Amino acid sequence: MASRGGDIQGFYRQRKKGITKPANAKAKTSSSKKPSSPNRSAATFGSDVTQPPALISHASLDLQDDYDANEEFLRQFDMNMAYGPCLGMTRMARWERASRRGLNPPKDVECLLRSAKVRPECLWDGRV
Amino acid sequence: MAAMEVDPVNNHPQRKQSHYQSLDENFMIQKETYRGQQYSQIYFARLDLMRTLIYSLLPNWKPHLPVRTVLGLEEGKECIIVGTLYKDMKLKPSILDEYSKERSATPLVKPHNFTHPDDYLVLEDESGRVKLRGTVLSPSVYVTGNVVALHGKDSGAGDYLVEDILEAGLPPQLELPYKSGEDKYVVFVSGLNVGSNSSNPLQFQLFVDHITGHLGDEKVQSIAAQIVQVVIAGNSVEVPRGLLNGQNLASKDQSRLSEPIKEVDILLTQIAAGIPLDIMPGPNDPANFSLPQQPLHRCLFPGSAAYNTFRSCTNPHSFDLDNVRFLGTSGQNIDDLEKYSEAKDKLAFLERTLRWRHLAPTAPNTLGCYPFTDRDPFLMESCPHVYFIGNQDRYETRLIKGSEGQLVRLICIPRFSETGTAVV
Repeated sequence: MASRGGDIQGFYRQRKKGITKPANAKAKTSSSKKPSSPNRSAATFGSDVTQPPALISHASLDLQDDYDANEEFLRQFDMNMAYGPCLGMTRMARWERASRRGLNPPKDVECLLRSAKVRPECLWDGRV
Repeated sequence: MAAMEVDPVNNHPQRKQSHYQSLDENFMIQKETYRGQQYSQIYFARLDLMRTLIYSLLPNWKPHLPVRTVLGLEEGKECIIVGTLYKDMKLKPSILDEYSKERSATPLVKPHNFTHPDDYLVLEDESGRVKLRGTVLSPSVYVTGNVVALHGKDSGAGDYLVEDILEAGLPPQLELPYKSGEDKYVVFVSGLNVGSNSSNPLQFQLFVDHITGHLGDEKVQSIAAQIVQVVIAGNSVEVPRGLLNGQNLASKDQSRLSEPIKEVDILLTQIAAGIPLDIMPGPNDPANFSLPQQPLHRCLFPGSAAYNTFRSCTNPHSFDLDNVRFLGTSGQNIDDLEKYSEAKDKLAFLERTLRWRHLAPTAPNTLGCYPFTDRDPFLMESCPHVYFIGNQDRYETRLIKGSEGQLVRLICIPRFSETGTAVV
């Protein structure tokens, strides 16, 4: 359903915050990795291949997330295999475990987790 | 504490005492909360801890070879890789088989041993896995969950040709304390199986009388007075399973369920009145299923729990007696090893777990285990002086030596209900 009406947008309750204009979704696919373009979903690194405009159901991408530079940085921390699997623990617990084992995780991650308003768990928590 | 023998003779022997210290903290799960984690966390903790250990041993083994991760393997170049072993077994029962078969009332056939000549090993670390080939590595010896270092090279055909293997080896051992001169004995018994058809209450009563000193003349009593600790290594009761078939229990059946444990309590009270007693849960006991099994609850033993000599311990159990370190389990880890690998006798399995520095390498793969996130409690930090397992078929013992002069006495404790033997 490629309907783009404004009342459709209100009809389907948006689960996440940060809804962007549907006009951006029609832009040509470019594999830009700029973290500032919010409706490029993080998992696909900017390309539109999983969310082609024709399939978007209610005027916004399925993967709508509070996605900013901080979150991107933390996701890189999640994905780093040297600190172990990211599932099943809060990011803070994982960071503390890594620093206890002497793996020297970056300090910025700790500061971010303590101060900013970021997700405490990794992306797949609760979804797997 | 001294127990007076109820004896009209004037100079009755006093029981010896020993300084006891329990080291079970590692195995208690009080502070852990389950947040939905998976077993990958415990595998990571195991790999990480053992890898740092093995890295420290590598300079003594083959210092000239580079260490690589699995993804960093280069074809044809000799190197060392460290990772967790995974054994691909044809006969291993898989939960998916149960789904694909039709539902039938008969249970799946359980072969005693799942090894097969076609089993092969795979080494895995965080980056990837690689299949292992080579005559040095015998798949029947190793099981899934061991962390080892391998020297060899990538053969170019997608697998790794192994030339040599390094295990973690025996952990460091504290010095055995200087013997003060008197002999003190520890009694191990397991597999009482009270409540089953094979248990004989007379035998157990005889045993209790003997160790509390109610039997025999003065010489026998003085030997009994040198017993300082009794350890019951699992399977004290056998709950009649036939009653538990999903329907509501009549009150008559309810009392039948609790009879075995009441019997055990009566007998244990007699022992606890005189000697420090440790009781460990086993596979058939009313405790949790997954390792590390938590201590049996005090309310199960209303009589014996009143004594402070009575201690309910975890399985695996570790304690220090006069600075001699004891470590042991109720047998689940070795029985599981027996199903998935081969060895000459049970003591060989015990020795292997010591050399791998890990009590239960098959947990959580085939042995139930709590999903720890930040540690692996089965790693042995220090080498015990006495290493025992309960519920085995017969009594066996051996003394093994480690590369740095560690000496460990390995003991297999037979099931009391079948053999009537206790180890002293």
